[in-house]
Amino acid sequence: MGSSTNELLTAEEIEIMQEIMNIAFGKSAADLAEVIDTHVVLSIPYIKCMEVTELPEYIKNDVKDYKNISIVEQGFWGKFRGDALLVFSSGSGKELITLLQQDQEVRAGHESESFDVLESETLMEVGNILIGACIGKVAELLKDVVTYTPPKVIVEKYYGDVISDAQYDPDKAAIVLRTDFRFDKGNVSGFLFLITSQESVSWLKQALTDFLEQYE
Amino acid sequence: MSKKILIVDDSPIARKMLKSCIPKDQGYEFHEACDGKDGYEKYQELKPDLTFMDLTMPVMTGYESIDAIVKHDNNALIIVVTADVQMTAIKRVMESGAFMVLKKPLKKEEIATAMSKAFESRSG
Repeated sequence: MGSSTNELLTAEEIEIMQEIMNIAFGKSAADLAEVIDTHVVLSIPYIKCMEVTELPEYIKNDVKDYKNISIVEQGFWGKFRGDALLVFSSGSGKELITLLQQDQEVRAGHESESFDVLESETLMEVGNILIGACIGKVAELLKDVVTYTPPKVIVEKYYGDVISDAQYDPDKAAIVLRTDFRFDKGNVSGFLFLITSQESVSWLKQALTDFLEQYE
Repeated sequence: MSKKILIVDDSPIARKMLKSCIPKDQGYEFHEACDGKDGYEKYQELKPDLTFMDLTMPVMTGYESIDAIVKHDNNALIIVVTADVQMTAIKRVMESGAFMVLKKPLKKEEIATAMSKAFESRSG
């Protein structure tokens, strides 16, 4: 990692961001648990600053054990801006359909659709809940308002083919907020990456300071 | 004699935030632990009057730490402070013997009220 990325956030700012991410993903899990009868096992969030060119390799390294993955990607922008990348392990989409179909209304609404469409829509719906609740909570805690791009869904592709080296601007640095999760029912697991560029950094540093000041 | 408060959380910032929410005028004696195992060991050593416990921690989770503490002292007074607000999580910690669950981010009034209720529960 270059010296410029080391300076993006201080150790204390990273700790505050970790705690905020912890709170935000807890909210996501609780929101999802209201829709799907499962418990989402949470992990300790991890924050890393890096050159954007390092990002694809970093993500690939995290998800490589899954081989095939499904992705829900959504951009968000406010003062806090970037991309959310929700990566599911292979087979998660089908497991989610089974879990969601325990709700008869969902089944009735999707009876006529093909299974591929249903899988894509299910991933989008779950992604919408997890990403929206998480980013919404981060924004709320940091006193920001964000809007979202429509989500893009990729279903069951080899990870090396969908995490592209050419996806990100090579002149930029990134702050990656990562949390991994698994469901206690069904074989569903994955990672949520929030990738925010250095354009958000000066605002983010001030927002983190303001957040902590409430507790001084 | 001042009451001993043990704060168990792997995040130093979260411990600092929680400590700042605790009323300053009661002369509490504060102790901190950085994971569930450290929390359990410090509990045995210090016998705190009240323990604040996070759930998602390395080495030993808050769930495991509460189980160990309650097994050691079934009168332990534990308030869980967590970002994991799923009903299943809350049910599990309440069944394991926690006194109350508070949701992060904390508010000073909530902490003061929770502490009063917790101490009252042991005063009779």
